[in-house]
Order: sequence, then C-alpha cells, then structure tokens
Amino acid sequence: MLTLSNVKKSFDSREIIKGVSLQIERGESFGLLGPNGAGKSTLISMICGLIPYGAGEIRIDGKVVGKQLKEIKQIIGVVPQDIALYPSMSAMDNLLFWGKMYGLSGKAAKIRAQEVLEIVGLADRAKGRIETFSGGMKRRINIGAALMHRPQLLIMDEPTVGIDPQSRNHILETVKSLNEQGMTVIYTSHYMEEVEYLCKRIAIIDEGKLIASGTKKDLSNRLAGGTVLKLTVDSLHPLFIEELKTLNSVEKVIVKPGEEIDVHLHSKMEMVAEVILLASRSGIHIHNMQLQEANLETLFLQLTGRTLRE
Amino acid sequence: MKKVITICLFEIKRTFKKKSAYVIMLGMPLLFTFLFGTLFGSDAEVSFQIALVDEEQTAVSQHIVQRLMLDEMISYNIVSGHEAKEALANHEVQGIVMLEKGIAEKLRNGEPAVRFQHPPGMSTAPLVKQQVNQVLYSIDVYATAATVGSGYLNEDWETVYGKLSKNEGQIQVWTEQRTSGSAGNPMMGVSYSSAGFSIMFVMMMMLTMTGALIEARQAGIWSRLFTTPVTRYQVLFGYFLSFFIVGWIQFFLLIVLSTVLFGVNWGSPGGLLLLITTLLLCVVGLGMAIASLVKTAEQQNAIGTLVIISTCMLGGVYWPISLVPDIMQKIANFVPQTWAMEAFTTLIAESGNVGDILLPIAVLFGFAIVFLSVGLSRMKYA
Repeated sequence: MLTLSNVKKSFDSREIIKGVSLQIERGESFGLLGPNGAGKSTLISMICGLIPYGAGEIRIDGKVVGKQLKEIKQIIGVVPQDIALYPSMSAMDNLLFWGKMYGLSGKAAKIRAQEVLEIVGLADRAKGRIETFSGGMKRRINIGAALMHRPQLLIMDEPTVGIDPQSRNHILETVKSLNEQGMTVIYTSHYMEEVEYLCKRIAIIDEGKLIASGTKKDLSNRLAGGTVLKLTVDSLHPLFIEELKTLNSVEKVIVKPGEEIDVHLHSKMEMVAEVILLASRSGIHIHNMQLQEANLETLFLQLTGRTLRE
Repeated sequence: MKKVITICLFEIKRTFKKKSAYVIMLGMPLLFTFLFGTLFGSDAEVSFQIALVDEEQTAVSQHIVQRLMLDEMISYNIVSGHEAKEALANHEVQGIVMLEKGIAEKLRNGEPAVRFQHPPGMSTAPLVKQQVNQVLYSIDVYATAATVGSGYLNEDWETVYGKLSKNEGQIQVWTEQRTSGSAGNPMMGVSYSSAGFSIMFVMMMMLTMTGALIEARQAGIWSRLFTTPVTRYQVLFGYFLSFFIVGWIQFFLLIVLSTVLFGVNWGSPGGLLLLITTLLLCVVGLGMAIASLVKTAEQQNAIGTLVIISTCMLGGVYWPISLVPDIMQKIANFVPQTWAMEAFTTLIAESGNVGDILLPIAVLFGFAIVFLSVGLSRMKYA
C-alpha cells in the first residue's frame, strides 16, 4: 500500500529526514512512534504530498507521490495534528464541506456525513457548532472529516493530543474498528501505549532516522535487558551480586540504596527462577520482588538514551 | 469549478453566520452616513451664511448675483460693503463675497474679478471659493461669447452680454462645466457620506473576510485542504469569489438602504455597476495583498485597519478632498479611494454616466492589478 525508499528531506541544508525506508501492507495498522521533533509530521507531510521529498521515492498503491498526486489524494484520508475545522460551523457543515472537497456530490455527502457522525459517535451533535464542542469531540469530527470519502489509507498524525481518556478510548476503538474493516492505518504518536494497542507493526523514528521497526515481538526481542527484576533484599552480599552477574540470563545488575537491586534480564520469565534459586543458595532473603516487562518505552530508552516524551 | 463554488458558498455562509458581520456590513456604514451626513448638512439644506456685496451693479454683476443666489447650500445675504463688514465682525455671516467695480472689464481680461474675505480657519472656505469659481466659470462662457458676438454684431459688449444672459435657460452651461473635469458640482451631505462610508466599510468588511485566509492557514485548514484533490488555484479563486460576492451584496444593500432611508440618488446604474465591480476588485486585491504580507490575523487586523483609515482620510472619504492642502490632494492621487470618490461624485452629483468615469475606472483597475499581483504571488500556503 505504501512504500518509502530511502526518503530524505533537508531544510536550509539541515537534513531532517535521513534516508527512511518502509513498507506498509494493505489492511495493515502501522504505528510510527517517536518523540516530539523526531520527524514524524515531516514524514507524514511528505507522504501526503504537502511538502516535496528531497531524495528517494514514496509510492502509494503503486503511484508515485509528487507525480500522481491527484489520484493519490483520492485514496488517502489525512487526520492532521491540528483541529483543522471551521469552528463557527456545525459538525454537519464541516463534514459536508470536506466531503465535497473530496468530490462527493451534495446528496452523497449528506448520506456519508450521517454515517460518519455515527462512526465517531456524534450523530446527536450534528447541528452543534464545533466551537461549542469539547476537545475530544472536536478530535472525533477531525477524524470524521478524513473518513468522508472512504479512504483506503488513513493517515493519522497524533490524533489524540490533549483529550480526555474517554474520548481517547473512543478514538482508539474507532480506529481499531476501521482497520478491522480493511482500512490501512498509519498512526503516529508519542504515546507508546496507543501504538502498542492499535498497531501490529511499529517503526520508531528519532532525529529523522528509522531506528527500529518490526512487530511488537520483533522489537521486544531486540531489547537486551529490557525486562527488569526489581529485588528488595535483607542484605547486599557482594558475592551474591557477583554471582548474579555471571548468570546467562542477566544483562546487568544495578545496586541501589535501600538494599534494592535491579536485575536486567534478557526478557524471559523462566530466568527469574534462576535468580531466586541463587538468592536462596546464598542465604539472601528476598523481601519484595517486582518484574517490569520490556516495552517500547524501554526500547526507545535503550536505543536513544532518552524517553519518548522528552 | 464545483470545488471553487463549494469553497465560495461555504465562505459566504460562514460570513453571514457571524452577527458581527451585519454590524460592519450595514449597521456601521448607515450610522456613520447618518452622523456625518448630518454634520455636513443634508444635500438641500442651507448650512452657512455669506454676505454678498455688489459694488458694480451692472448686468454682469447682477447675473453673478442671480447665479449665486440659486445655490441651495450657501445662503447669500445681499448687503452694502459696510454692512457686510459689520455682519462679519458680529459673526452673523461666515464670510464676504465682494463683486468689485470693473468686474466686466476684469472678466474680459481674465483678471480676478471677485474678492472673498473670510476669517482664518474657516473650514468651509474652499467650498465657497469653489462655488464662486464655478459661477464665474459659467459667466466666463457668456463673457467670451459676448466678446466674439460684439465683433460680429457691431454692438457693444454689455448689450450682447445682456442678450445672451436673457437666454440662459437655453444654454446648457452646466454640461460644459462637467466636461471640463475640474469644476463639477460638489457632492455634499448624506450623498457624500453614503458613498464615502460605503467605500470605507466595504474595505473593512473585506479586511475581516480576507483575515479568513490567515485564520485558515493558522488553523491548519489550508494544509488539510491541500491533502484533498483540490488545487491552490481552486482554493484561492473560491475565496476570491466569496469576497467579491459578499462585497457586492454589501454595496447593493447599502445603495438600497441609503436610497430608501436618506433619499440618495446614486445615478447611472450602468456606471454604478462598472464602478463597484472595479472598486471591489481593487479592495479584495488590497485585502489579499495585506493577508499575504502578514503572518498572523492580529497583524492583518492592525495593519489593515491602519491602511484603511489613513487612506480613507487621504482619499476624501470623510470630507471633501478640496478641504485639504494642495500637497495632500496630490498625494491623494495615489490612493484608490480618491478615484472611487471622484467617480461617485461624477455619478451622483453630476449625473454622469459610464463614459464620464472611465479615467477613475482605469486607475482603480490599475490598483486592482497591482494589489492582486502582490496578493497572489506572495500568498503563503502553509
């Protein structure tokens, strides 16, 4: 559905996108994860044809972005980060306007607008002015406007910024349902839990570079020492610490104040038993034990040394 | 074209949904027309008194007196020189127009024939001067005819002049004045204010409307528009068309309302159609040019208001341009309002038609081309 081949972009001789290559299959739900300023929105703008790419090639449904833009625009729906709606107009008026911009006739636009309002759960607020809506409701109409022409590829750029948990859940469920109905979805966010929930494949982007991509499982396997076993013990015996470090399953051991030890494991749960056994043999009494599983946040931290929300 | 019409109709709908639009569109111009119109006096109302002294007492001077007395706007009191000075000292009159002895001779020789005395700072002095000059100009036509006629008829100048002036009704002197270009009847009172404030508030309305371009850009609506199968030209043309149509609706309503409420006669419909169309091209172009040069809606509002208010002052929208010093009158040629007001004056006060306003139309069209070129070439899309 979408192929990016070594795509680059520079502004004022500064390279913003540094050779990104990606392939997204039809019907897939693909997450683009990265901190603010990573280049996600620039990449999205290039995919939509809003800004030209400097080098490489972007193809959507086999058509080259920049050369067959008119055909491409007919099959993509874009949900921008901004609430790009007319505040003084009603939800229905906004949806009709955007539907007509995608070439829908008056009658078809009206029927579709009603359907879209049902999809985003705001059918009862069709006549309400956007400026009277809550942040979450505005975001839902913002998504609705991109659905008017039944796009094959839905590109969502941070669609849940600054909204309440209830609206966020509604949006996530809507997107999941659209994907299950066959719509290809590209979902960019710096909320890793949203991407983890919605997307089967994920790409992590930072400073204009693709630093990791694959399924959630692929990415977890790449995470060395991502699973952390947090122990609180009765005494920090030096021999116990040294023996812990020699275990095959252990990536590293960090001793903390308050008789606490963080044991970074190569992710497998069964390795926990080895640690407990060793403690028992060394006469160390474990007061408390907590297992923190690897996630995309820890992977990002490991790859970049920074957190996603920095 | 369907998308252009969709954008245009959507923008028009958006405009008329705002209550504030009706205030700028109709409320304010009608209120200002009423206030300023009253200040300048209604079109037929006598607003000031002038003492008129005829020292000559000949056919020529009496002809001038007769013509001056016809004026409805200025009330002339015929008095002796002494009485005139007293009346001026007592502030009973605002000035003295004196027809000096030897006026016929002076007219024949092209010398100044009338003295106008007024206190310093008299704001209406240019208007009185203009009207006296206008009368003298028409008298000059008879004077010249009498000079030529006396040679042919072998009669003395005074006799020929007397004969000619008796047939005044048959001679269309005012027509000659109009075609001279500079000696037209002044447009006053509500008519003047109607034309002036219509121009100003149409400009204000267009400033508000073209601000939509910046708001849409700031809100990310333009970026989103360009992810749909619509071109930049379709978007710009859609917006342009909406501005133009709203401007026309505003002008139309103001013309109808000022005619009904204040009895303004706007003159030739054909001339009006051409003038308003050209003026709107110019005003929409100015709005788009300002929108293309600024970054935020606040900047556009501040700069736009400043440009409109100052150029309206300069262009004779609030008061006749003849009241300002010569240098300002020359500078005024570089603002479109001057030419628009000139064309409105020709249509309203001089019953002109399309042929009589071609010069201001051409100038306004030139302004429109410049403004639209700047606006379209410098417009920022994202």
